[in-house]
Amino acid sequence: MTDKVLTANRLSDGIAVWLDANGYWVESLQDAIVARHAEAVASLEAIGKRDFAENKVVDVAVVDVQEVDGKLWPIRLRERIRAQGPTMEYAAGYRPADPAFIAV
Amino acid sequence: MYRYDEFDHAFVTSRVEQFRDQVTRRLAGELAEDAFKPLRLMNGVYLQLHAYMLRVAIPYGTLNARQLRMLADIARKYDRGYGHFTTRQNIQYNWPKLSDTPDILAELATVEMHALQTSGNCIRNVTADHFAGAAADEVADPRPYAEILRQWSSVHPEFSYLPRKFKIAVTGAERDRAAIQVHDIGLHLKKNDQGELGFAVYVGGGQGRTPLIAKKIRDFLPEEDLLSYVTAIVRVYNLFGRRDNKYKARIKILVHETGVEEITRQVEEEFSHLQGTELKLPDADIQAIAAYFAPPALPDRPEGWAQLAGWKKEDEAFGRWVSQNVQPHKHPDYGMVTISLKPIGGIPGDASDVQMDVIADLAEEYGFDEIRISHEQNVILPHVALADLEPLYRALIAQNLATANAGLITDIIACPGLDYCALANARSIPVAQEISTRFGSPERQAEIGELKIKISGCINACGHHHVGHIGLLGVEKKGAELYQITLGGSGDEHTSIGEIIGRGFEPNKVTDAIETIVDTYLNLRLSKEEIFLEAYRRVGPQPFKDALYGDAKAEAA
Amino acid sequence: MTRVWRETGFVENDPWVIETEELKAGENDKVLLPLDQLIERAENSNDVGLGVLIKPADDIRKLEPYLYRLEIVAVEFPAFNDGRAFSHASLLRDRLAYKNELRAVGDVLIDQIPLMLRCGVDSFAVKNATALKRLEEGRLPGIAVHYQPTARQADKAGGYSWRRRSA
Repeated sequence: MTDKVLTANRLSDGIAVWLDANGYWVESLQDAIVARHAEAVASLEAIGKRDFAENKVVDVAVVDVQEVDGKLWPIRLRERIRAQGPTMEYAAGYRPADPAFIAV
Repeated sequence: MYRYDEFDHAFVTSRVEQFRDQVTRRLAGELAEDAFKPLRLMNGVYLQLHAYMLRVAIPYGTLNARQLRMLADIARKYDRGYGHFTTRQNIQYNWPKLSDTPDILAELATVEMHALQTSGNCIRNVTADHFAGAAADEVADPRPYAEILRQWSSVHPEFSYLPRKFKIAVTGAERDRAAIQVHDIGLHLKKNDQGELGFAVYVGGGQGRTPLIAKKIRDFLPEEDLLSYVTAIVRVYNLFGRRDNKYKARIKILVHETGVEEITRQVEEEFSHLQGTELKLPDADIQAIAAYFAPPALPDRPEGWAQLAGWKKEDEAFGRWVSQNVQPHKHPDYGMVTISLKPIGGIPGDASDVQMDVIADLAEEYGFDEIRISHEQNVILPHVALADLEPLYRALIAQNLATANAGLITDIIACPGLDYCALANARSIPVAQEISTRFGSPERQAEIGELKIKISGCINACGHHHVGHIGLLGVEKKGAELYQITLGGSGDEHTSIGEIIGRGFEPNKVTDAIETIVDTYLNLRLSKEEIFLEAYRRVGPQPFKDALYGDAKAEAA
Repeated sequence: MTRVWRETGFVENDPWVIETEELKAGENDKVLLPLDQLIERAENSNDVGLGVLIKPADDIRKLEPYLYRLEIVAVEFPAFNDGRAFSHASLLRDRLAYKNELRAVGDVLIDQIPLMLRCGVDSFAVKNATALKRLEEGRLPGIAVHYQPTARQADKAGGYSWRRRSA
C-alpha cells in the first residue's frame, strides 16, 4: 500500500491543510502524519469525516505520497501543486512552487 | 454606464446581509456544506486548490475608474495584490477568506458592484461586445438589453436552481465580438426593414465536453418581447433539461437531443402565453435604460491626426502599438484602445493592484471614465482621442501594459488551469508563458499576423479553446500533463469548433509544435493578408498534420 | 418530525400524507395522490376536496380539467436543488389560475422558502431543524425588492415595469 496523508481545505479561509500527528490541520504537507497501513488510513478517514462534520474543514481527501530524499512527495501532480502553490511568479512577495518538487 | 438607483442599492444591501447571515450560519455549524455550497456559489464563492476564489461580476464587461479602484483595493486588502480577468468579462480573486467575503461584498456594493450569480446553476453574467457603444461598425449598443437581462435575472425565484449554469451573450454588430454562438442564448441585436430594433435569437451553443454551435430559432424578435421570450426559453430548459448527468445538463444537450424544431415549437408555445403580459418591455423603460449608455460627449480633436502621424514616424514601437491595439471609433478623431494584459512571458489576464489603479487614472484622464473588460482577457478604453494616444502609451509602458499584441499570437487566452483550479487536469499558464516568450519578437508577431491561441486546462473549456484558431486542451495521461491541439476554431459570426489534429504533446514539446504549425502556415499562405484562420479554412488540417506527425507516419511505414 | 408552515403560522392537525412503503394513511388522513392516480380517481368518481402530489417530471398541465376538485396541490422538491417545482408552482398559479393550497414538500430548507413563496407556494412541509427554528422565530432570509414579476403578485416598484416589492 502506498503511504497516505489526509488533506482538506480549512473552512474559514479555504487554505489547503494536512492533518499532523497531533490531530491539527497544518499548512505544510511536510508536517503531515503518514498512514502506512490500512487501519491507519481508516483512522485518518474517520478523523476527516469528524472534522468535516464539526465544520473545521471541507473537501477532505486521502492522498498518496512517497518519501523522496526525506521529503513527502505526492504522487499526483495536482497534490504537489496544492502543497506548494502556483508554479510561477504570481504575486509580489509570494514564492512560486519549487520546479524540482513539481516535476513529474 | 448604468448607475444604481435606490431600488438597486436596497437590493444589493439586502443581498449582502442575506449572504452574511448564510456565512455566519455556516461558520457556526448551523448550515451544512451541501446546503451552503449552492448559496455561496450564487454569491460567486468557489473552493479551489489552494483557497477560496471569489468571482466578482463586471456586468457586460463595463466599469468605471471608481469601480476599478475598488477592485484594486480588494486585491490589496483581502487578497495577494492581484486579480485575474476572465473569459466572461468578470474578475477573479484567488485567495479570499470565506469569513471576509461578506465584507468584500459590502465594499463592492458601495461602488455598485456585486458577485451575484457568477457561479451556480443560475443565469450568469450577461456578456456583450467589449467595443459596444464605440465601434464604428455597430448597429446599436447591446448593453441596455444586457442590463435589462441582468436585472430581470437577479434572484429570479423560478430560475435559481436550473439543471446547470446558463450563459447569455449579446452583440450589436454584424461582426460578433461576443461569441454569441457558443452561449446558451445568443442575442444579435439588429434592425428590421422598418428600422425597428430586435434580436436574432440563438439557443444551445456551448463549449466544454460537448462543443456545439447555437441554432437560430428566431430571425427577428421585437425588443419589447425580450423578457417574455427569454423566460420561455429558460422555463422550457428548467422543466426539461437533464438533471441525471452533470455533463449532459446544459441546454445545448436538450436542443441536440430534442431537435431544434421541437425545441422551437415548445419555446414558441410558451412564449405565446407570455407575449404581451407584464413581461412586455415598455418603450419608455427601454429608452430610460438606454439613456444610461449614451456615449460621452466627445469633443472634436482633429489635431490628433497630424500629431499621431508625427509620433508614429518618430517611434516605431509606438506605431506598432497603434496599428495593433487601436481600433476605429465611430468618431473619426477617436480610437478604441486595447490595454494588453498579456505581457511577453506573463500570466494572461492578470493585473496587479497598482496596474488597476493606473488604468483607473488613465481612464479618467484620457478615456471619459469608461473601461471595458473583453472576453479575451484584456482591458479596453473605448473612447480615447487620437491626440491622447501618445501620452497614454507612455503611461502604459511604465506599467508593462503597452504590449502591442492585440489579436496576435502572444495575445493568448488561458484559463487559470491546474495552478489554481480544482477542476483542472493540466496547467495552462506556464504553457502560455512559454509560447509567449518564444514568439515575443514584435517583428515576428507582426509577420505572423492575427492568430488567436486559447488554452484550457480541462474539458470544461473555460479557456474557450474550442474557438481558438489554435486551441490547446490540457489533459492528464499517466500522471503527466499532455496537450491536445485543435485548429480552425473561431468565436466570431462564422463560428466554428476547432478540429483535433492528432495525438497530444508533452509540455516540453508544445511550443515546438506551435512553431511547426506557424511555419506551415507561413509557407502556404497566399499572402500576408490571408490570416491563419482563413488559410486553415482554405487548406484544411492535412498540411498541418503532415508537418506535425508526417515523420512518424513515414517511420511507421 | 414534519410540521406544516404557512405565513399565518404553523398548522396543527394537517390531514395530508404522502404514502410510502412504510407510511400508510390513517383514518383521519387524506392522501396526496400521485398524478396518474389522481386523474384516475377524478375520472371515475365525483370526489372533490382531493389532493395531488406533483413530481418534478410530471406535466402540470394534465391537472387542468381537475383543478376545481383539488383542495391541495403538493409540488415536490426531492432535492432542494431540483428546481423544476418552481416552474410547476409558477405555471399552476399563472397559467392554470389555481387558487387553492399549494404546498412544497420534500427537501424544504429555509433559504429556498422565500423563492418558493414568490412562485406561489403558500404552505410548506418542513423537516429540517434549522428551517423549523427560523420559521418559529419568524426570520425568513428573503429580499423584499424584486427584479421580476412572479406568480405571486407584488406591488410595482422602482420605476421599471419588471420591478416589484413585497410588503
